[in-house]
Amino acid sequence: MTDHQWLELAAPYALGALDHEERIRFEAHLADCATCRAEVHACREVGGLLPYAAPAATPPGALRERVLRAARQVRPIGARRGPVLPWLAAAASIVLALLAGNAYRQERAAREQARRALAAVQDSLGERDSLIATLLSPDATTAALAATGQAPSARLFWSPTRHRVVMAVYRLPPAPAGRTYQLWAIAKGKPVSLGIFNTQPDGRLTAVMGVPPDLAFQVTAVTEEPAGGSPQPTQQPFLIGKVVGD
Amino acid sequence: MGAPATADYVLVERMARRDERALGELYDRHGGLVYSLALAIVGERADADEVVADALAQAWRTAQDFDAGRGSVGAWLTTITRTRALDLLRARGRRARALTRAAVEDSEGLAAPIAAAGDAPDREVERQDTRRLVARSLAELSEPQRRIIELAYFGGLTQTEIAAELQEPLGTVKTRMRAGLEKLRSSLLPRLSRGES
Repeated sequence: MTDHQWLELAAPYALGALDHEERIRFEAHLADCATCRAEVHACREVGGLLPYAAPAATPPGALRERVLRAARQVRPIGARRGPVLPWLAAAASIVLALLAGNAYRQERAAREQARRALAAVQDSLGERDSLIATLLSPDATTAALAATGQAPSARLFWSPTRHRVVMAVYRLPPAPAGRTYQLWAIAKGKPVSLGIFNTQPDGRLTAVMGVPPDLAFQVTAVTEEPAGGSPQPTQQPFLIGKVVGD
Repeated sequence: MGAPATADYVLVERMARRDERALGELYDRHGGLVYSLALAIVGERADADEVVADALAQAWRTAQDFDAGRGSVGAWLTTITRTRALDLLRARGRRARALTRAAVEDSEGLAAPIAAAGDAPDREVERQDTRRLVARSLAELSEPQRRIIELAYFGGLTQTEIAAELQEPLGTVKTRMRAGLEKLRSSLLPRLSRGES
């Protein structure tokens, strides 16, 4: 697809009107295209005003009490005070586990391997320039994201100077219909979204995502979210990793 | 426009600390809008009640995850409400009101009626302004453009489903949806918070 064709998908995407396959392809593209991300953001803002087009209706008086009653029956998720997410504690313990042992040496070997492999296919990946550039930049750091169970794993390459991460995911089945995966950077204990992604049917994906220029983070995590992603994680992460520098 | 005593996001912060009065106040501010939205999608008052109760319970449950930097409280609530309303229809195997409504009998579209909701006076004035602007902006679209955007937003249909529903070529639906949203964007510019960030 040309840039122009991608951009044309922003409006239907923001309205939730793309078909499943198309949505998945566009989300993979969004991971790598700030122009389209900005366009989606703008279209979502327009969509955000559409509720005002609904004919004004007055809710029944009893609804207020019903809402309050329903809330009383709801068990709140996680901490009772403040915005600290419960899974940060889990993240911290896994970080310690990763730091133990010879994780560092393994990281470096794995990265060398990835560098060589990627350098070999560099020519055929013209469109993935920024991916390669991020992987090969001298300041690249990596994080291995491990699952609590077994199957999926991911490796993250982060270049602070290029404000980019490259994410390579293995053995992760595509998110179910209406859902997406979302990558988070944990900065000062607060999750910041780096973007949404989905894997190919074979469970793999390599994607480039932008990182806000001033964002410094030590931990990354992946959650499954409703299509389009969430402003904040709504679920426990199933992949968590600590960033390891040279 | 006078500043409200308490900002919306402060109410949400209080909700995260399980302050029920904050939830009540949030309902008083946004209940009219989310109820109207729910009713526009599900079409039945009893179902709209259920959607609103569910949506606000979800907001109550997830208040601690709300991030004011990512959008307004109103946008957060309407997004939750729309998703809940479309879920309810799907669960019951029913079609959205935007689909069952005969286009001929109501050619003005969903935006036509502008009635007073029972919100607080200051907000009500602002809300009426927004309603009028959105209604006017939608009215400036061609009828097919408006219908397609309504079917997507209020009907939860994909472009392919809209093409089948209207018996139009998919390419035509795509073009009209894009052109319609683009036109809406330019006429709604005064109400869009941030620019092209």
